Amino acid sequence: MNISKLMLIGVAVVGVASVSVAYAKSPRSEKQIAAENKALMDAVAKGDALWHDGRLGTNGLACGNCHPDGSATNPHTWPKYQTNLGKVGTMRDMINWCVAVPLQGKPLAFDSDEMIALEAYATYTHRGITIAPGKDEQHGAVPVKSGPGYP
Amino acid sequence: MEKVSRRQFLGMSTKVGAATLFTGVFAPSASSFFGLGGVAHAGTKKIQEFNFAVLTDAHLYNIADHKFDHILEKAVADVNGLAKKPDFVLYGGDLGQSGKKEELAKGKAILDKLTVPYKIIPGEHDYYLDMGAEWRGMFGPEHWSFDHKGVHFIGMNSILIKDFWSARKLTPTERMGLLEELECHQCGAWGVGEEQLEWLKKDVKNLSPDTPVVIMTHSPLWDYYPRWNFQTLDAPEIRAILKKFEKVIAIHGHVHQVVYNQIGNIHSAGLLSTSWPWPYPPVTLPHPEIKMNRVDPGNFEDGLGTHQVSLNKDFAGMMDYRAFADLLPENVKRGLKL
Ligand code: HEC
Ligand SMILES: [Fe+2]
Ligand SMILES: [Fe+2]
Repeated sequence: MNISKLMLIGVAVVGVASVSVAYAKSPRSEKQIAAENKALMDAVAKGDALWHDGRLGTNGLACGNCHPDGSATNPHTWPKYQTNLGKVGTMRDMINWCVAVPLQGKPLAFDSDEMIALEAYATYTHRGITIAPGKDEQHGAVPVKSGPGYP
Repeated sequence: MEKVSRRQFLGMSTKVGAATLFTGVFAPSASSFFGLGGVAHAGTKKIQEFNFAVLTDAHLYNIADHKFDHILEKAVADVNGLAKKPDFVLYGGDLGQSGKKEELAKGKAILDKLTVPYKIIPGEHDYYLDMGAEWRGMFGPEHWSFDHKGVHFIGMNSILIKDFWSARKLTPTERMGLLEELECHQCGAWGVGEEQLEWLKKDVKNLSPDTPVVIMTHSPLWDYYPRWNFQTLDAPEIRAILKKFEKVIAIHGHVHQVVYNQIGNIHSAGLLSTSWPWPYPPVTLPHPEIKMNRVDPGNFEDGLGTHQVSLNKDFAGMMDYRAFADLLPENVKRGLKL
């Protein structure tokens, strides 16, 4: 990041924080940003592995059997009323529903690394799609020519 | 060549091993089992009206009493109970999930309960543990052709991938594991390969252009969504070889969904599985009006089904998707013209 950009961010943040010149979040170095992005991509890759290896279930099935590239999980539509859940829920509710029903497995803790990784994978494969809570549609994942589907 | 009547043949097929005879050793001479047949008979546009059934993608696991076992059994019972009895069944591949002998044997035992003969081709899930060895032992050649009541039927192995495993020293199980993912991150695109192209050229060489042709492959013979191998690399070559025919009906598994396309003289239809349905890939369908509805994940039979294809004397085809649940919009319910 060049100096003028850093100054711009500084000005913007100072503008919001006005009187006391405290940063809500201190500007990060490029190195920090790269490390944080890598942490996200590690979670996506972990989610990808979990998505496909059948470990979450008891009948051999994995999420990938029915949701290639995370499709038909519709991350942009949550939270919403989901018929199978019978209530307004989040994507994590539905991830657990699919663990329990099609996979016949044990639901995950909402704050577990596994749950976060699954959510990261499904969401990342739909990056760029407009959020639309409650929208009743099945949206495809980001089209991929070849390779893993994320950088 | 000894004539065996259809009745006699069907009688045989209910006995143990008769299905093996059909699927395994189905050399061209065996076409006499169907009464009509032989290349010479196929060269006329007028055919005898008949129908056949199609099943595909059972993805059986080596787990006892698995839900997919029961669905394949239900599919076989559905075909056996058809009001208009089909002359035979075509099976489109992915009988097993991980290419294991146990999975294929379980699948064969269920398919052998069909009261009509069946012909089968391999899918990637049948194949990449041992490069098709068990499958061939049970079912015979990976490609075949036969003539029936004036129609020339062709089946080919369309899932041959360039070796990506040797250099990386993958074990057979690792190789199979990668291919079990639809969106395999490193497998590459598949096709039928040079040898089968040569075979196909010879197979159709002496057929006249007005011969009705039906071809079955595991993957579509057009570029649908290569990322999921919803394609066949050498489909353009196949289409070129089949170009001389007035009309070709192409049927494919692998996509686990209702889908239709027409390229030139080739009318292609995708099939429902008996395991799980797949969402449509992120591309525009060539015929968006021909698709299935979204699936209820709470109903294990939704998105699945069997098929019956009827051919009239002018080779007008009608594909009846026999969905197990309420899956089909009205236009598809009425049958897909092929
Ligand atoms: C046997 C098939 C199958 C398996 C395996 C499966 N699902 Fe599903 N799932 C479905 C179907 C079908 C739907 C409904 C899709 C739709 O809304 O069109 C669905 C819906 C969902 C949805 C909600 C989509 C929406 O908009 O309502 C999420 C999220 C989801 N699945 C996540 C998962 C995860 C995570 C796994 C693995 C733990 C998984 N699924 C395994 C079949 C499956
Ligand atoms: Fe399949
Ligand atoms: Fe397949």
